[in-house]
Amino acid sequence: MKSLELLSEYSNYLEEQKLEGKKIIAFMSHDSIPEELIDAAGFIPLRLIFAGNDDLMNASHDYLPPSTCSFAQSCIGYFARKPNLYKFLELVDYILLSNHCVSDICVSEIISDNFNVERLNLYVPYTRNESAIKYYKIELENLRKELENIIGHEIPDQKIKESIDKYNLFKKKLAEIEKLEISGSQKLEIFQKAILFGPKILNEIEKLIQKNREITSNDSQTESNNKKVIFTGCSIFLGDYLMDLIEESGGEIVFFNTWIGHNYISQIYSDKILNSTDDPIDLFLYRFKTNIYGDHSVPDSLDNEISYLETFINEYQKENGEKLAVINHVIKFCDHFSLFQSTLKERLQNKGIQVLNLERDYSRANRGQLSTRIEAFMEMI
Amino acid sequence: MKAVGLDIGSLATKLVLLDENKKMIDWKVNRSTYDFKRVGGDLFKDILKEHNLSRSDVFVMSTGYGRNTVDFANDRITEITAHAKGVQYFYPDARSVIDIGGQDSKAIVMSSKTGNVIDFQMNDKCAAGTGRFLEVMSHALEVPINEIGTLALKSNSPASISSTCTVFAESEVISLFAQGSSKIDIAAGINKSIARRVAGMAKRIGVEPLLVFCGGVAKNIAVKEYLETELGFEIVRPEYPQLTGALGAALISFDNHK
Ligand code: SF4
Repeated sequence: MKSLELLSEYSNYLEEQKLEGKKIIAFMSHDSIPEELIDAAGFIPLRLIFAGNDDLMNASHDYLPPSTCSFAQSCIGYFARKPNLYKFLELVDYILLSNHCVSDICVSEIISDNFNVERLNLYVPYTRNESAIKYYKIELENLRKELENIIGHEIPDQKIKESIDKYNLFKKKLAEIEKLEISGSQKLEIFQKAILFGPKILNEIEKLIQKNREITSNDSQTESNNKKVIFTGCSIFLGDYLMDLIEESGGEIVFFNTWIGHNYISQIYSDKILNSTDDPIDLFLYRFKTNIYGDHSVPDSLDNEISYLETFINEYQKENGEKLAVINHVIKFCDHFSLFQSTLKERLQNKGIQVLNLERDYSRANRGQLSTRIEAFMEMI
Repeated sequence: MKAVGLDIGSLATKLVLLDENKKMIDWKVNRSTYDFKRVGGDLFKDILKEHNLSRSDVFVMSTGYGRNTVDFANDRITEITAHAKGVQYFYPDARSVIDIGGQDSKAIVMSSKTGNVIDFQMNDKCAAGTGRFLEVMSHALEVPINEIGTLALKSNSPASISSTCTVFAESEVISLFAQGSSKIDIAAGINKSIARRVAGMAKRIGVEPLLVFCGGVAKNIAVKEYLETELGFEIVRPEYPQLTGALGAALISFDNHK
């Protein structure tokens, strides 16, 4: 129900922005899209982070085979299903095609070719070596030019820099949410809202943190018997029932190692870096270079990911004296996560960390099985 | 106190009654139908009546696909944990379980020290490798489901069924008939196809002997033999393979009320 409220709030917000003459650029919510550039050019960045369902997936089958990732199917369904489930998506002016995965490319192409949405392109390298950084720079400059052509004037460096500052401050606040003593579902709701609305809700986030600190300092701490879990793999999108299943089964997610979660929040600049240059493109390049989540589909990327998880788990266990298990969420037919799930599980289990590979699509029929798998995992750990 | 384990599966509902010494004193099985709650409730009422018991004389633990529909249960547990516990009643040294039920199949590995579940794998929502697959195929072959296993074992050259999807496999069966394959060879191919799929899933989590085969499909002798070939070791089957989930649930309810 909360997600319905959020969607309606978001819909109102987008309508207001459109009335003010703003244009909307949608994109699949993957890494390394410089939303600050989009914001500085006066557009509204809209990340497609809405959960799928049977209707949405079915509506996509005129364009994509059912053996495509079910999130990608659902993204097509957002536009293909009539009446539109997320009506506000009719307000989208542009889709930004990126190449995080093949599905990402197909979805953006299909949307632009069939649903009257113009396409922009940004190709992001899969690795972070020197030539990749040079290439990313060219892509950023091209995107900047494309945006400038649309608005009919240059986007001043200063404006991009201000936007970077604004988002940076916002992410710092979100990082505080990660540490609050609230449930996993509450954190997720905040992250989802933050990713939709961006720094516009900074005040709301600050108040929430303040309020929570007051409550925690007044309350005597009660130990929870819930099983502590790290959530990794594909993000939980808005309106997905997965979080309910996990909490109803006695699981408590203490860390979201996903794009909607730590991946997004962790991309923060220190003041020193922020003040080190007046060229905002340099700052994007710095973030790209240092983004530990940036590598994918290249040798060693999984090793790095696993080592990162291990370090986090070890530190958490040392600090809290509690064991952590891992739920690896794999949206069916996602090329990145499906292929790696067995290795991830094997490697972590060899270190004594229990892992549930939770592969699923968005169909209703999956719910019973998902809940059995999650409950059994909670019973096991 | 006695204990009742009630396993509401997608096709069959199973109930087991244990006495104070954890001895199985009665059991019941019925089709689940669409009304899980009523079928489970009826079996429960019948067993209480037959043993002259009242609700307060028993702990009740529900398990299985419909476990959440049992509003008179004290507690509920997944069928994964329940089967692991149940098989150890018959085979205390059991290390692994393969359970093939009406709509899903599972492989479970237990700790050699504690007997607790340490890993498991379930099929996804697709019917391949489940009792439902066997049911559809026995219909296509016009052979009663309880005869398809014995028929299969007469084959010297099982047909090859490559489709894992139930719908495609059904078409494959029809085309095998058209190409002149015998009913016996096709039956063998069908049973082999289930065994291959489930064994693949089981190997991924490292099942090892002693492996107990349970669930409704364990009554099928051909699937058991083909599983042994695929896994490369012998497996065992309890006398009542359908009951291990309900039995495990009843045993766990004792543990919970210690
Ligand atoms: S879930 Fe995986 S395959 Fe699907 S769009 Fe995201 S990264 Fe690509």
